[in-house]
Amino acid sequence: MKKAGYVILVLIFIAILAKACIIADTPTPITQEKSQNTATEQIIYPQNQKNITIADVDYLQSQAEIGIYGGSLVASTIGEGPKTFNPFNTKDNISAMMSEVMYDGLLTTHPVTGQPIPKLAKSFSVNGNDYIIHLRHGIKWSDGKPITADDVVFTWQNIIFDGFGNTSTRDSIIIDGKLPTVKKIDDYTVEFKTPQPFAPFIRMLSTSIAPKHIFEPAVKKGKEYFETFLSTNIDPKILVTSGAFKLKEYVPAQRVVFERNPNYYMINKNNQKLPYLDKLVYLIVGDINNEVLKFEGGELDTIGLQGANVARFKELEKHSNFKVYNLGPDTGTMFVSFNLNNRKDKNGKYYVDLKKQRWFQDKNFRQAVDYAIDRKNMVLNIANGLAAPLYTAESLNSIYLNKNLKPYDRNIEKSKDLLKKSGYWWDKKGHLMDKFGNHVEFNLFTNAGNTEREAIGVMVKQDLEDLGMKINFKPIEFNSLVNKLVNTSDWDIVIMGLTGSPLEPNGGKNVWMSNGTLHMFNQRPAGYTKDDRYPWEKELDYLYTQGALATTFEARKKFYDEYQKIVYEEKPFVYIYSPLRITAIRTKFKNVFPTSLGGVTYNIEEIYEAKEPSKGE
Amino acid sequence: MKILTYILKRILQSIPLLILVSIISFFIIRLSPVDPLAELRLNPSVSQETLQKETQRLGLDKPIIVQYGKWAKSFVKGDLGITSNGEKVSDKLKERIPNTLLLTTIVIALTWIVGIPLGVAAALKWKTPFDRILTVLTSVGMAIPSFFFAVLLLIMAVKTGWFPIGGLTSSNFLEMSFGGQVWDITHHLILPVTVLFTISLAGLQRQMRANLLDVLDSDYVKFARAKGLSEFDVIYKHALRNAINPMITMLGFEFAGLLSGAALTEYVFQYPGLGRLILEAVMKSDINLVMASLMMGAIMLILGNLIADILLIITDPRIRVKA
Amino acid sequence: MIREIFRQLMKDKFAKIALIVLGIIYFALFFADFIAPYTKDFSDRTMAYVPPSKIFVIDENGKFSKPYTYNYTRSFDNENLRIVYNLDRSQKHYVKFFAKGQPYKFLGIIPASRHLVTTDSDGRLFLLGTDINGRDVFSRLLFGGRISMTIGFLALFVLFPIGLLYGGIAGYFGGIVDTLMMRFAEAIMSIPSFYLLIILASILPAGMTSVQRFILIVVILAMIGWAGFARVVRGMVLSIKNQEFVQAAKSIGASRLRIIVKHILPQTASFVIVAMTLSVPSYILSESGLSFLGLGIQQPDASWGNMLKEAQEYTNIIYRPWLLTPGFLIFIAVLAFNLIGDTIRDVLDPKSKVR
Repeated sequence: MKKAGYVILVLIFIAILAKACIIADTPTPITQEKSQNTATEQIIYPQNQKNITIADVDYLQSQAEIGIYGGSLVASTIGEGPKTFNPFNTKDNISAMMSEVMYDGLLTTHPVTGQPIPKLAKSFSVNGNDYIIHLRHGIKWSDGKPITADDVVFTWQNIIFDGFGNTSTRDSIIIDGKLPTVKKIDDYTVEFKTPQPFAPFIRMLSTSIAPKHIFEPAVKKGKEYFETFLSTNIDPKILVTSGAFKLKEYVPAQRVVFERNPNYYMINKNNQKLPYLDKLVYLIVGDINNEVLKFEGGELDTIGLQGANVARFKELEKHSNFKVYNLGPDTGTMFVSFNLNNRKDKNGKYYVDLKKQRWFQDKNFRQAVDYAIDRKNMVLNIANGLAAPLYTAESLNSIYLNKNLKPYDRNIEKSKDLLKKSGYWWDKKGHLMDKFGNHVEFNLFTNAGNTEREAIGVMVKQDLEDLGMKINFKPIEFNSLVNKLVNTSDWDIVIMGLTGSPLEPNGGKNVWMSNGTLHMFNQRPAGYTKDDRYPWEKELDYLYTQGALATTFEARKKFYDEYQKIVYEEKPFVYIYSPLRITAIRTKFKNVFPTSLGGVTYNIEEIYEAKEPSKGE
Repeated sequence: MKILTYILKRILQSIPLLILVSIISFFIIRLSPVDPLAELRLNPSVSQETLQKETQRLGLDKPIIVQYGKWAKSFVKGDLGITSNGEKVSDKLKERIPNTLLLTTIVIALTWIVGIPLGVAAALKWKTPFDRILTVLTSVGMAIPSFFFAVLLLIMAVKTGWFPIGGLTSSNFLEMSFGGQVWDITHHLILPVTVLFTISLAGLQRQMRANLLDVLDSDYVKFARAKGLSEFDVIYKHALRNAINPMITMLGFEFAGLLSGAALTEYVFQYPGLGRLILEAVMKSDINLVMASLMMGAIMLILGNLIADILLIITDPRIRVKA
Repeated sequence: MIREIFRQLMKDKFAKIALIVLGIIYFALFFADFIAPYTKDFSDRTMAYVPPSKIFVIDENGKFSKPYTYNYTRSFDNENLRIVYNLDRSQKHYVKFFAKGQPYKFLGIIPASRHLVTTDSDGRLFLLGTDINGRDVFSRLLFGGRISMTIGFLALFVLFPIGLLYGGIAGYFGGIVDTLMMRFAEAIMSIPSFYLLIILASILPAGMTSVQRFILIVVILAMIGWAGFARVVRGMVLSIKNQEFVQAAKSIGASRLRIIVKHILPQTASFVIVAMTLSVPSYILSESGLSFLGLGIQQPDASWGNMLKEAQEYTNIIYRPWLLTPGFLIFIAVLAFNLIGDTIRDVLDPKSKVR
């Protein structure tokens, strides 16, 4: 009896299996799914903000549509949250982001054109190396004290120039060993003077301004104390801010909550004080997975999307309450770098094997590698089609991009020709040999645990093995990798990524100048004096120095065009792609004008939450 | 009295152990190629001067032995130092310890309250369908990769909207009434507790079952049965007491694990516990924070083992304290 | 003895199924080269993330046909910002059995090119779809399994003997020996293994393959991991050593080591077997964690752990469920090991037959 039961069970199982296997080939006509909103909506940007004086107070007037007060916007940061609320101590992106919410700078960047425009300052004028800043009359810190020239001078002189906190701003504006000067002309006018004309300085004026009455006591206690000043476990009430929001609550590893700053100096067209939102919340999430789930679950209002997630939310968009914006190529870059180091270490041993040096330092070899890289399929496979192939050192949304440098496709034949030109040959098994009969074999590093880079590594390995090289692909732990790159220099080629600035190429000087801290393809130890630069490295040094000293945009562009051309030809970095910047935000938020440079929430003061949930829009 | 001297002795013994552990750990951390400034170095806008200043500030330019000496000196004084961001280590730990304790005690309490009786029940009903089903169920619980279990639960939470997606409190937590706050935390705790509970339950239940089965077959249980003691007495007075022995050592480990946190689960559920803090510190080689957590771990381990040994002596009459 | 265990296992329904399942898995892994349609490193980069091939047995006219499949074509949909896969119905690719395909070396020695199932050379038969680099998931499962299903045991063979002996000696001798040994074990347990592993990763020679590296790492992990296990054993031994049969053995004049190994340690068998079955899955899974440190099985080599890592993205779980198959196999294998472990425990228990 029992056996019969088993037999029946097995028969049913087989039947189901057979049913599953017999698939009929019935071609379904391909229906081109046409979505309703075929015409991509044009974003209509509001007019530029205006200065307007009411009762002796110089307000900044928003020209965007008048909104409704109340509500809150929940955004997120990936990582473990801010490390400090002191804008001058920030060493990581998240802390810097939190500081930007709370502290305004004198100037800011126009979200569309990228030009510097006044923010905390009422107006400014530049005359060669002379910068005159006019401050707004009658505007106040969140505790009611007036914002005056004293705060500006204190911030620049006593905090930045005197080297408190993270001194990167200060170090980047030292010209020939001299710092700019700052002088109070009257209570609402400040004058900056750089030792010689120095174009990047104008961007530095967007640095946060500190309230003197809060920061002065801390500065008096010395630099060591300043490092711990305004750390994350302070009472939020101590933070006096100038930005649209002030800190309400920080819950470690969970969220940062900001509330409206009642003294903010921006008003709407009805002359009512901004911002509209009561609260701005940043949830601290550990990884993209969780961020995506939180957005889908409705706990987040806005999110940056990547890869396969984009397709998912694009699909959900049609019947959900959010909108996905494609903002074009991002500033992030992905590249393969060669180790061009030709020096010896302390023990008299070469950092890079002599035979490998001969390969990597050969321009033809580097170009051959470049032509062998299959960018098209990398974009499709690894970035899910959501990236732009990259060939230049400046990112694709940079205002200094050299548009004469043309993209090209993978070309194995050209690679082989280039290699032949340098005396490489192939043995019977197809192995690539150099002039001296060495098989070309080297190590390819990247950071382990990063699926994207590991997948690129696999493809780069295949691409180069098509040329007969042998590649040992070695993903290693991130911190150890950085150590290899900048300290021990014992690597061959590496897949890395860096983030550039779309506005100021000078921000990349640590990468391109031969004595830079991130000149990774030929990293010199700190304080290295011997001049062993390659000719093109010398040129890069020259172009970078001149580019910073030139004052007009056109003059500067010439130098930066030239530097991109050199990198394009010399290929110390073989660029692969730049991901697209894609962001989603709930449709209940109005006055959203996304831009490639600013993102989605740069105008957080103007954004408001519509009362009624707008469905089916 | 004997017990007291025993405890005293153990505590004295642990001092050289702690010193040894701290020296080994400190050197291992500093000799590993993890660069505490790695992230800074990869930021193109950070200058050479800033890097040098940071190196000096963190004392990385001094020999390891000097760094260790400085750390040990302040540790003995009870000062855990500051993190690489200038926050007090003790403050950072204080933020997280209650959260971690909350999660781990709930999980440990639940698993022991459920796991031990289930193990006993399975052993007593050996080879019955009840036992078989339980075995298969716990095996299933153990075989699911915990990461997926966690992510699947989160997806479920998104789809149904029944549970919050990670975290410990809602963003309007401050405005809630006390009852609301308690409910909010409970609501957030359900998913992470479920995952950790499922993972640890299987192990505990199986161990308990196996131990009791062993004991039930031993001579003295047979002897007790032969003496005519009631089955209840045999099992609960004699067998269970002996079967619990290895569980007690494990309880010691559980105690040690109270503060180490479950980094993976915390990570998936965005739980603000110690695990995440320490994981981040380890990745960045934030030495004061890492050392503090290591010393905390070592002390908890020593305490846990001590407690386990004392419990062993109390519960198991066959183990004698040798003075 | 082994035959007896086997006989007992086959008597038990669950254990029997588990044994058969494991048997099939190991058989498939052994003949992976033959069963897999592609080699481990084969990739078609125009076919990343394609879904499993559809195999048709009824053609478009509604007639039965030899099984055949179509290739996928991939295109980027600019409007919906996603990649679309369509069947390329212009050419049928018939599924062939025992036909010539990619050449391989069976078990690394015998050159061969016959595969259990394959299709013509410009057709693609991806039974379980492909991964991010356009590699056949089914084939990689088979090759990856070879590593995952063996390496878990490697750790056991290092960890358990050390732990048993160490715990046994400490517990049996007691007193100062016990104190010293246990403090040493505590010291071992307190060492930060993350940094130790990072150091190892940096000093291991670059020429090692990731499999060699990983074997070494597992052995080293086991060499730190025994301490906790040894403590539990020691606790049990403390209790066992005062029982009559040990005293009896002592009075006969058996050597101490003999007493420990022959009389005391077998008493801990139940605990040990359960602990062993509990630790196999953790070693299979820990491999994927180690790959973060550059110590696990690294790309382009395959293992279930590193294949599973790719599937951990939320959208992959929803849209590319075939990437989850390694997780499913781990689940099945661990389940089978547990069921067998349980049964062995019952069989080995010398007294259980009395009942």
